[in-house]
Formats: sequence, structure tokens, C-alpha cells
Amino acid sequence: MRPALLLLRKDLRVLRRSPFLLAVLLAYPLVIAGLVGLVASYANAKPRVALVDDDTLPSRITVGGRTFHVERTIDRVAQEVTLVRLEGEEAERQLRSGRIVALLRVPRGFVADLRSMARSPRLELETTRGGLSVRVTQQVQSLVYQLNRQLEDAYVEANLEYIDLLIEGGTGTFLGREFDVLGLKRAEALLEELPPGPRLDRIREFVRVASAALGATDDALRATANPIELVEADDEGRTWVLSAQAQSYALALTISFLALLLAAAALAAERDEGVLARLRRGLAGPGELVAAKTALAAAAAVALGLGIVLAFGAIIELGGVEGGQPWSRVPLLVLGLALAGAAFGGLGALVGALARDARTASLVAILGVLPIVFLGLVPREVAPAAASVSDAFPFAHALRFFTAALFDLDPLRATLREGAWLLALALLFCAAARSAVARLG
Amino acid sequence: MTILLTARGVSRRYAGRFVLEPCDLELRAGEAVALAGPNGAGKTTLLSILAGALEPTTGRVESSGRIGWAPQRPALYSKLTARENVELFARLEGVPALPTDLPDRPAATLSVGQRQRLNLALALLGSPGLLLLDEPTASLDPMRRAELWAHLEELRAGGGAVCFATQDFEEIRRADRVGRIDDGRLVFQ
Repeated sequence: MRPALLLLRKDLRVLRRSPFLLAVLLAYPLVIAGLVGLVASYANAKPRVALVDDDTLPSRITVGGRTFHVERTIDRVAQEVTLVRLEGEEAERQLRSGRIVALLRVPRGFVADLRSMARSPRLELETTRGGLSVRVTQQVQSLVYQLNRQLEDAYVEANLEYIDLLIEGGTGTFLGREFDVLGLKRAEALLEELPPGPRLDRIREFVRVASAALGATDDALRATANPIELVEADDEGRTWVLSAQAQSYALALTISFLALLLAAAALAAERDEGVLARLRRGLAGPGELVAAKTALAAAAAVALGLGIVLAFGAIIELGGVEGGQPWSRVPLLVLGLALAGAAFGGLGALVGALARDARTASLVAILGVLPIVFLGLVPREVAPAAASVSDAFPFAHALRFFTAALFDLDPLRATLREGAWLLALALLFCAAARSAVARLG
Repeated sequence: MTILLTARGVSRRYAGRFVLEPCDLELRAGEAVALAGPNGAGKTTLLSILAGALEPTTGRVESSGRIGWAPQRPALYSKLTARENVELFARLEGVPALPTDLPDRPAATLSVGQRQRLNLALALLGSPGLLLLDEPTASLDPMRRAELWAHLEELRAGGGAVCFATQDFEEIRRADRVGRIDDGRLVFQ
């Protein structure tokens, strides 16, 4: 392996003398990682939903004695979607063309039902088919849930007023009609004025129990309205940018680009400079040449990966972010970085051997790495076929290795499995690259 | 005379066409053999096969002793300096590195002539008994050419041999034998 080590030293020296290339190799994957992050956040952006108001909602609605400002209430609860007011026909057209992802219709009679408190008013939802429809349905369900939360307090208050009327007595209104109620307390006072007797005692006892029971209705009614209440605590832990997931993605993406490009370009450069022919004269065999390029990719992957881990760790430690950097896992991570670098290095060496020159090799490496990365980002549940294809490349295995190494409670099983995958892929790609180098004319 | 290299039936095909027809060649101690012919005739292919840099489609090459090879296009690492190139290839060959008077800066920044001198310096590593040189004087100034020929005469006098490709009549005259290659066919005159 001495020739391989000599060539590795030479490659590292050449790399050190190419600061621009080094800067691009470092910056490019980080830019890509940032763009992937942006795309991920775009996926979480609010979808446009049309609000079609067939009932001509007034600016204010009074329900159970409480007045709601319609626009403000909608703005307050519609945090997960962007509601756009549209006419029915226009909304249908935009829904068909995909400019909006859903149509929320307020049908005629909605406000009357709301005010009556006797029947649940209805909202109608239409969504596009496929991809986003499930998400939009969930978000509109969330919107309706939020509206209900706003309204239920008003309903509970209104119902409690009726109960209070039953206890205390007085004048009330229902469905716009006014009525007078004697009330249990006043009924009890009237009963006191009547001569005692066993039948009257039973009526007095009923009035007393009914007053006590209705007096306890307040809490019961509120509990019935909210059988389970979700209390939202203040945000804690890492932000998305500093999350475990982002760190693993950044590592896997960077290593993929760097190792693949570096090995492909380094091997193709030997050919470009005509040195491959000189080496082939018994100075370094195809296996040693591929080993040198794979080792170069692995070394660069470890160096850059450690740099990213240290940068993340420093930000997290200095920022006092909860769920801090697991420093004790770094040695395990180094193993993963080396294996991922070697696997991508082997693949890069294969690309470098198959390409005619360094420029073609670099182009093919860039064109090749993007689908490999995106295939690895597709969840297995969404597209099992894509996940199976992705298994034949190192990205997804590297991503799972890094995630497990950094953040799993017990990382041994996952890292062993993914490490074995990476090692097998490294050996496979190196063998293919060796064969391709041996065939070079 | 001692035979330093023997090639039997060596040929090379590219894309289904012979760029070098099967041919035989022996290089003996003390001789200089010139390979002449128009561009693209197959001189470089034959020298690369003799040097072991290119696998022949048919035939085989046997040699005794160290062979030095200077390809037509200098084969060196352009990001490494002349000294670093010499040191690296010396280590790979397991021979001591020769000192060089070339500027100690990346080979990419050297002149064409300087790169060719470095190319020749790499061929001379380990003091080979047989030199295979592909148009070795093409980019050299007259003084360096004279130095090279003096070195080659020394090599021959010491029992070595040289086989070189050229298109220069003056250089052809220095050879003991001239092999003409035309359209992939080698014929000795």
C-alpha cells in the first residue's frame, strides 16, 4: 500500500494548493443544504385556501351575548392557512387550476344557525386531489377547531345564563322570544309561605336539591365542553436550524458532494495530466490508485464532518440551547464519516474512471449526486421503490448513521446496520472502480 | 549483443481498427533506434506499449533491466513543483531522487521546454539501461538538445540503448537503425 499512501499525500498536497477549489467544495454543499432547508420550510408554508361567503357574513356577530368581530376572529384562528376571499365561481376555477388548494364555503343560513345555538352551523370544504389535500384538510380541521374554541366559551356562558335564570328567576329570551321565569329560589320562598305537609315537604326537598345541583353546573359544563384541554408550553429545545435533523442532513449532504466530487475529479485528473500511463508502468496498480482516491475522500469527509460538528456544537454550547451537543458520540460519528466518505469516494473513483476527463467527471458527479440525495430524502412510506433504489447508494445510510450516532438513546444497532451498508457499498464501488481503471486505454 | 527488450507480435486496436499492426522489435545494448513516420502513424502507441504504459491488443513485451520512458506530452503533476514531481516518482520507483536545476515552482507555471526537461528527468530516474523517448527534443533549445544527445551517447557507450520517435532528419541520422511506421505498419529500413 506504499504507493497508495504516496499518492494520497500527493493528493492532499494538491488539494491544499487549490484554495478556490477547496472553498467551492466546502461552500457548495452547505449552500445546497441551505436550499434543502428552504424547500423543507416551503413545504411547511401556509397553503392558499379560498373563503367563499355565500351567507354574506356581517362584520360582527353576537352569539350568547358575546360579540365577535368576524375578520379579526378569522385572522386569529387561520394561522395555518392563508385565507383568500373569493366569489364562488372564481374559487371553483382556481381550485381546478390548482392556484388554491382548498375551498372553504360558508353556506346560506350559517349565521342564523350560529345565533340560534339550537343547531350546529356547517362549513363546507373542497380540496384538490393528491399530495396536499390531506394536509389541507388537517389544517382546515384545525381552523374549525380553533373557531369552535372561540365560540364554545360564548355558548357555555349563554347556557350558564339560562341556568342562572332557572335558579334565580327573571326575564330571559330564547329564539328571539322573551319569557318570564319564576326561578327555584323564588319558588322556594313561595313554598315557605304555604302550610306544611308531607307532599309539600317533598316538593321543598326537590327545589333545594335542584338548586344545589344547578349551582354546580358551571364547572361541569365547562369540563364537558373541554373533556381534554391542550395546554401549550413555551418553546424549548433546539430551533429547526440547530435541530438534530438539520445537523444530520448538513453532514450527509456535505459529505456526499465533497467525497464524490473529490474522488471523481482526482482520479480523472491523473488521466488528464497523462500521469496514469506513467503510474501504470508498475508504479501503482489500479487497486492502489482507487484506494488512494477513496482514502482522500474519507479523509476529507472526516475533516469537514468534524468541522461541521464542532461548529454546531460551539453554537449550541455558547447559545445555551437545550438538548446540547452529544460530545461523547463524536468518535462514533468519525467512524460514520470515514465510512460514508469511503463509500462516496469509491463511487467517485468509479465515475472518474468512466469519465473521459476531469471536467466530465465533475459534471457527472454533480448530476449524479443530486438525485442520490433527493432519493434519500423521500420517506420510505411515501415511495417504497425510491427508498429501495436509494439503499443502493450511500446517502440514506449515511444520514441514518449520523442521526443514530448523534441522537439515538441506544445507537449501536442502527449504526452497526448502516455502517455495514456503507462498508459494503464502499467495497462494491471500489471493486467496480478498480476494474474500470484497469480497462483504461 | 545483449538484448534489452523484445516485442513479439504487439498490436493495438481502437474502435475495431488497428492503429498498430502486429509487429516485432528487439532493442540491443549499445544501439540507438529511431522510429519515424507521419503524425498519427502509430509511433507513440508503439513506444507506450514498449514502456508498459499501454496494454497491447495482441503480443507481448519482455525486457531486462530498468526502462526509462518520456512520453510525447509531459506526464507530470502540474500542481507539484519540479522537485516534488521528481521526489514523488523516485519514491514510487524506489530509486534515489536526482537533483534538478529547474525552478522550484508548480510544474503548471514552467515553460514548455522546462516541462519537457522535467519529463526527461523523470525518465532518467534510477539510471535506466534502456530509454524510450517520444520526440524528446521537440521543445528543447539547441543547448539542451546537445546535452541530451551527449547523455544518450554516454548511455550507449555504457551498454545501454535508446529508442526514440522523431520527425527530425538530423536525429534520424544519429540512429543505428530506423524503423518507419506508416498507417500502423512498422518496417525497418
